[in-house]
Amino acid sequence: MAVKDVAKNGKKRKQSSEDDAPAPPTMTVGELEMLSDEEDGPDAVSDDGEVDEFPEIDTRSDSEDEEFEGLDEGDDSEEEGDGYEEEDDSSDTGSLHVFPKAKTIVSDITGQPKRVYPEIEPDYDSDSSTEDDPNRVGNVPMHWYDDLPHIGYDIDGKKVLRPARGDELDRFLSTVEDPSAWTSVFDKNTQMDKPLTTEELDIIRRLYAGEVPDAEYDPYEPTTEWFTGKGKEEIMPLSSAPEPKRRWVPSKWEKQKAGRIGSQPSSSHPPPLPAPKPRLPTNSESYNPPEEYLPGEEERKEWENQDPEDRDRDYLPQKHSALRLVPAYDCFIKERFSRQLDLYLAPRIQRVKLNIDPSTLIPKLPSPSSLKPFPNYSSLKFTHTKGRARCVSVSPDGGWVISGDESGKVSLWEVNVGREVKSWNFDSQIGALDWCPRLDVSYFAVTVEEKIHFIIPPNVHGPVLSLTQALLAPATLPPAPTTPSPVKWVTPSTSSRSMDTPILTANLPASSGLPTQLAWHRRGDYLATVSTGGTQGGVWIHQVTRRHSQAPFKKVKGAVQMVLFHPLKPHFFVATQQHVRIYNLSEQKLLKTLVPGIKWISSMDVHPSGDHLIVGGYDRKLCWFDLELSDKPYKIMRYHTRAIRSLHFHPSYPLFASSSDDGAIQIFHSRVYNDLMTDPLIVPLKILRGHEIRDGLGVLQVKWCSRQPWLVSGGADGTIAVWCS
Amino acid sequence: MGRLRQKGKAGAAKAYVTRSSAIKKLQCSLADFRRLCILKGIFPREPRSRKKANKGSSAPTSFYYAKDIAYLAHEPVLKKLREHKAFAKKLSRALGRGEWSSAKSLEDNKPVYRLDHIIKERYPTFIDALRDIDDALCMIFLFASLPSNSRVPPELIENCSRLSAEWQLYIMHSRSLRKSFLSIKGVYYQAEVMDQTVTWLVPYQFTQSIPADVDVRVMLTFLELYQTLLGFVFFKLYADAGLVYPPPLDMKKDEGGAGVGAFSLHDASQPAGPTSGKTKAVEVDGRKISSKDVRQTIKSISATSGNVGADVEMSGPDANTEEADEEFVVHHSTSDPQASASLPTLKSLTDLPQSLSTTLFAPYTFYLSRETSRPIFEFLVRSFGGRIGWPASSGSGSPVEESDNSITHVIIDRPLTERTNETAEERERRLRRKYVQPQWVVDCINAGKILLEEPYAQGKTLPPHLSPFGEYQGAYDPTVGLTGEGTAAEEESEGEEIEEDEEDVEVDGTDKAALKDAAEAAAASEDPAALRAAELAAEAAGVDFGAFEKEVSKTRKITKKKAVEGSIEDAEKDMNKMMMSNKQKKLYEKMKYSQNKRDNERAVLEAKKQAISKQKKREAKTKG
Repeated sequence: MAVKDVAKNGKKRKQSSEDDAPAPPTMTVGELEMLSDEEDGPDAVSDDGEVDEFPEIDTRSDSEDEEFEGLDEGDDSEEEGDGYEEEDDSSDTGSLHVFPKAKTIVSDITGQPKRVYPEIEPDYDSDSSTEDDPNRVGNVPMHWYDDLPHIGYDIDGKKVLRPARGDELDRFLSTVEDPSAWTSVFDKNTQMDKPLTTEELDIIRRLYAGEVPDAEYDPYEPTTEWFTGKGKEEIMPLSSAPEPKRRWVPSKWEKQKAGRIGSQPSSSHPPPLPAPKPRLPTNSESYNPPEEYLPGEEERKEWENQDPEDRDRDYLPQKHSALRLVPAYDCFIKERFSRQLDLYLAPRIQRVKLNIDPSTLIPKLPSPSSLKPFPNYSSLKFTHTKGRARCVSVSPDGGWVISGDESGKVSLWEVNVGREVKSWNFDSQIGALDWCPRLDVSYFAVTVEEKIHFIIPPNVHGPVLSLTQALLAPATLPPAPTTPSPVKWVTPSTSSRSMDTPILTANLPASSGLPTQLAWHRRGDYLATVSTGGTQGGVWIHQVTRRHSQAPFKKVKGAVQMVLFHPLKPHFFVATQQHVRIYNLSEQKLLKTLVPGIKWISSMDVHPSGDHLIVGGYDRKLCWFDLELSDKPYKIMRYHTRAIRSLHFHPSYPLFASSSDDGAIQIFHSRVYNDLMTDPLIVPLKILRGHEIRDGLGVLQVKWCSRQPWLVSGGADGTIAVWCS
Repeated sequence: MGRLRQKGKAGAAKAYVTRSSAIKKLQCSLADFRRLCILKGIFPREPRSRKKANKGSSAPTSFYYAKDIAYLAHEPVLKKLREHKAFAKKLSRALGRGEWSSAKSLEDNKPVYRLDHIIKERYPTFIDALRDIDDALCMIFLFASLPSNSRVPPELIENCSRLSAEWQLYIMHSRSLRKSFLSIKGVYYQAEVMDQTVTWLVPYQFTQSIPADVDVRVMLTFLELYQTLLGFVFFKLYADAGLVYPPPLDMKKDEGGAGVGAFSLHDASQPAGPTSGKTKAVEVDGRKISSKDVRQTIKSISATSGNVGADVEMSGPDANTEEADEEFVVHHSTSDPQASASLPTLKSLTDLPQSLSTTLFAPYTFYLSRETSRPIFEFLVRSFGGRIGWPASSGSGSPVEESDNSITHVIIDRPLTERTNETAEERERRLRRKYVQPQWVVDCINAGKILLEEPYAQGKTLPPHLSPFGEYQGAYDPTVGLTGEGTAAEEESEGEEIEEDEEDVEVDGTDKAALKDAAEAAAASEDPAALRAAELAAEAAGVDFGAFEKEVSKTRKITKKKAVEGSIEDAEKDMNKMMMSNKQKKLYEKMKYSQNKRDNERAVLEAKKQAISKQKKREAKTKG
């Protein structure tokens, strides 16, 4: 390559020295500017005709350069000159073609005449872009060289000087003199005028005329059918693959598309829901309705006083004796307008209308008549004249009732007769009283102002009486507890003992308040009391045989409302205001906390089986807990209209009762099953009414007789009723 | 761990947009938004949780589906509305500068929107459209009777009255009117068209004025939509019935106040009617329209909206002939879930034997008295096949003269007056004809048979006019008292008496029945007056006092027992209510409340009716 460069340099030098000589016409036609004066250099129009010519010269010169390197330059210039001459000749004669010449020969195969182009030699010079161009600046805007004496550089890097152009006059003269001047164009690359060849002129003419530039091209050639037409049918299939299913099965996608087009509007948006139809007129809208539809004076006034939105119909029925007397309806346009507002401003909500008989919503329960016996009438009434009968208790054998009132009187009477056998008078209000559940002894406990009195009723059989006396006032007192207890157990001396005074008294610490509730353990030895005040939540557990009392809780969250012993297990229920806690007394730990969801618990009772608990509250709710099942109530009922005061399960029959401040007692059938899968059956049986409501208080306590389905209830009106079946 | 879900990126927060944000998105004014909602049938939705839909705010707003709004954003009408806004600006500027020629050229190229594509979108099937024309008809009939003013142009009213006349013509031609009701609000009509019940309300002929608190723009937007809708629906109905649409209007007759009679129906299969001759010039809105004009408008329509082109092209006069023979293919309604699976086609309907009631008045010829409303009764009578005439004061074009001998009924609404100075001919004519009050026509239609004319005769107090549409189940039925219980019982007892008189052998049976009746009546009513009355009745029936006494005590016991049992059952039910859950209890209370309300309504009506009948009896007694 270096060699070649040197040779070229030499040539350029020669050229520059010979610059004065008249400029030879450009050697390339490929770089000509045709009609555009854009600065893009080489045009796409390649002229292969000259390509044929020049490669030989170039190769020759190159090879010569290689061969005769270092020889005089004249030879080189001669060569160049020859080349130019040749070029000039060719351009002058016009025998050169822009496109390679085609020969028309008769085809051997088809017998038709066809054109044959000369083969293109795929060598180095076959492309016009590699042609020798003296100016090698490439495709750059030529106006960069406007102020310079040269117009670029040749292949050796020598300046190619600007050819002399002469002045305007010279140019004009040359146009006059030269007959081919009007067919020559200015070549920017060489800065010279260059005549166009006849082929080029022909192309220009064709382009002007809007014809195909190639003269040889025939746009209307007859088509040759190669594969179709008669005699060219293909008989054998191209492939031996079996016919695909899609050829004969109707297209699923087309079907879907057709379905889409057919079923839906042009938009993919579904049409809006149809508007609901307006209400059809009823009889009352008639111009001549039956007379009963006409509103009375009051109705008319009421209708007029109502807001238009509140009226259940927008017109008042009127009666006209003839059609001609019917006036125009003044709200017609307004009604139309409001309908339209409904149509475009109201959200259309589809409400599901329940079309059921409301009575089917009431649960089907067995009839109360099939669940007899249960108390349904008041057989007798016992009256405390001085105050409310706060508390009532039935003896474990079911024959006797003791009742205490707020004036401090405790009465003993027979269930069957209702006659008072004996009464005890205390200084102040009776807090609670309860029989000891033991059958071999007979006594009961009464709480009066921080004291628990143990009393033996009269008319007790000899052996029972002696046993009871031996239990409550033994000859040898049990040993005093090791830790001193604030509760003092006092027995009056044998001399002052009588039927009117208690045989044993436990003095709770001072200012602990009145014990409002008493709960016996089923064995009859332990007794729990809840006091209204004091520390430790006011809960005390007393043991009668040992004359010992203890407070099981150091501190209790919330005010304790009620306590109960579990009938079978050593468990202890404590109801605070909102929770029921179950403790294991032997292990001394909390087992469970029940959440009834009641604002203020008033009462509770545990089922004799020990697995179910009912809790009543001042907010009228009653919750049934299945202790095996959950901490949440199995059933919540609200049927009393006032606060629930007392609840009690029957010890042997499947019954329980609730009493309330609304003066009613509700008896339920409550059957529980040993089978864990079956839910307990609760059937309301009877509402017992008979107690009067005094100062907002109704029935304060209910207790069942242990052996009969009888109920004893104490009310705020001072009466105690016995309800029999 | 799954991807963290950001708040407000999915669910209700995305599915709903508030009205203000919708307007912001569409970049139009509230009025334009309203108009678009009306035209496209888009209404607000109630999200399940307003708080969730409104990004935590519980402020009172109305919500739209975001998809609905996105759908509105592509509406061509919205584009036109925007163009119109620009046009208004340009025009006002041109006018302000006094550039009259540019203002005129602007005015000539004013953007106008078309609603054809909206109709097609909203009502994919013809049944859908037909089901929704109730409100459209009400509006058309209302506006046809309104006076024109600055806001309601006369062309609009003219178009409305033309549409209403076309509808009435179709109903009369197809005999599809079923029920009618004269109410204090106007006249309700119910027709059955292609198995769809269409009910519309026409106000009485008085001049109405639009109240101040009514937004006329909203009404006019609705009216715009309804006019387009009815145009399409009527075209299809007429084409299916083989009629030319629009029916040619005779201007001369119209000016004479012929009303519906000014239009003439032409069979589309017959090439030439009297007016559709060679030139096929149809007078619409008072100017002549040749078929060339029609073709041109069609071209322009199809140019403006490509997708509706096919539909509109059918309105060419030659499309009708093909259409007439075509069977109506039912497209199942896509939007109505209750639509039954198999809708009977028009063909199957026409194949059914036409009931007599549609040709109820065919044998009769009516004549309207001056004071009765011609549009109402002409429509009613002609819908049921009758002929009708009217005096010239009610409008021109009466097919029957007053002196015509074929007139059978005269609908008259005047009090009876003594006729003096009438000729013998007039008198004879008067005796031959039946004079009925207008209610007779409507009651006949609703009853489906020709009623006795006598209670409806001129000057008589009319029997009550009841709604043919019925009431909810278990509502108070005024007809029961009229024809049932009381009268029936009376008739029965009368019959019994007659029987008694005639056959003495049978006396035991009837005796027992009478005894039982009397005893029951006595037992049922605690007050002594009733007991006394029953005793008297028993005596009249020939029952001795002892037997009567025994029977009474027996029935009393039975009823008491029944009552006790019933009360026990009720108490049990009340107790069982305790076991209901709270939810059930509330539902139960709700249902009971509405039931009680209805029962109460009914009881009030019944009590009123009794009081009225008592008073009437008393009056009759005092008179007698």
